[in-house]
Amino acid sequence: MSMEIKIMKNILDRNQNKADEVRKSLAEKNVLMVNIISSPGAGKTTLLEQTCRELSGEYRIGIIEGDITTDRDARRLQKYDIPIVVINTEGGCHLDSHSISKVLGSFDLDNLDILFVENVGNLVCPSQFELGENFKLALVSTAEGDDKPAKYPMLFREARAVMLNKIDLLPYTNFNLDAFRSDLANINPRIPLFPASCTTGDGLAEWFRWIRIQTI
Amino acid sequence: MHEISIAENLKELVLEAAEKAHLSRVSRITVCFGQMVQIVPDIFRFAFSECVRDTMAMGAELDIEIIPVKIKCRNCMEELTIQSDLFMCGNCESDDIEIIEGKELFVKSIEGE
Repeated sequence: MSMEIKIMKNILDRNQNKADEVRKSLAEKNVLMVNIISSPGAGKTTLLEQTCRELSGEYRIGIIEGDITTDRDARRLQKYDIPIVVINTEGGCHLDSHSISKVLGSFDLDNLDILFVENVGNLVCPSQFELGENFKLALVSTAEGDDKPAKYPMLFREARAVMLNKIDLLPYTNFNLDAFRSDLANINPRIPLFPASCTTGDGLAEWFRWIRIQTI
Repeated sequence: MHEISIAENLKELVLEAAEKAHLSRVSRITVCFGQMVQIVPDIFRFAFSECVRDTMAMGAELDIEIIPVKIKCRNCMEELTIQSDLFMCGNCESDDIEIIEGKELFVKSIEGE
C-alpha cells in the first residue's frame, strides 16, 4: 500500500551542520575565514599573492586552495612561506564543509589569524555550500563582462564584499562600469565594492584597509 | 553543476527516510527549490536519476516546486514577492530588506510502499 512520508528537511543539512562546527572551532581560536568565490581566471590567486605580500608581516595567514586537479595555484603562493593546503575536488565544482573540516587539522590554529579559502572557480555552486567562513568575497573581473551581478544574484546577496578586478583592462573591454554598479545596487545596495587591479596593485589599498577592519 | 552534489545529498535523505519507514520502493519525491538557488530542473532530474540507480528510489518521480523570492521590508514591514534582479521593497522603496523565501533547498515528502 502506498504511503506518503513528510520529511521537510534541508537537503544540505549535513553540509550546514559541518560548516557550523568549522565556524565554531575557528571562532574559538579567533581565526577569520574568508571564502573567495569567482569565475576561473578572475584573479583569485593573484589577489592572494598581493594580499600575502601586503599582510603576511602583520597577520599569520593560512590558505586553503580549492583546485579541480592541480596544485599550480598553491605553487604560485609558496614563496610567501605561509601554510597552504590544497584540496583537489577531482572534478567537483565547489568546496564543501566536510572537505574543509578534514584539512583544518593541518593548520596550527593557535598560530593563525586569517584563513583564506580559494574556492573552485565558479559563480553558482560555491554560493550554495557554506564552509564555515566568516564571510564570502565575490571577485569578478572586467574581462568577464558587466552582467555578473544580474546573472548570479545569490552570490552577490550572500557575499559581504565585491572586488572588481582588472580595472587596468577597462579601456580594452566593453565593460560598462555604470551598468555594473547599477546592477549591483539593485541586488545588494549596501555591499562594499573594491575596483582594483591585482596586477598593478591599483585600488588594493582599500581592500587591505577593509580586511584589517574585519579582523578586529 | 551543483545539481550533482545536491542530488547526492537528496538521495541520502530520501533513502534514510524510506528505510526508517520500512518502505521497499520510493515512487515519488517532492522537493522545493528557491528561485535564487538556480537549480535547472532538467539537469537536476537527470543527476538524481543517476544517483539513485540501483536503489529503492530508482525511477521515482521527482516533483520540483520552485519558490519565488519573497522579502520582508524592515522599514514598512511589508512582505512581498520580488523578481530576483531588484532587491528592494516595492511598497516603500527601502533597500533595508530581509529575504524570507527563495533560498530553499528542501525535501518535502516521499511516497512509496
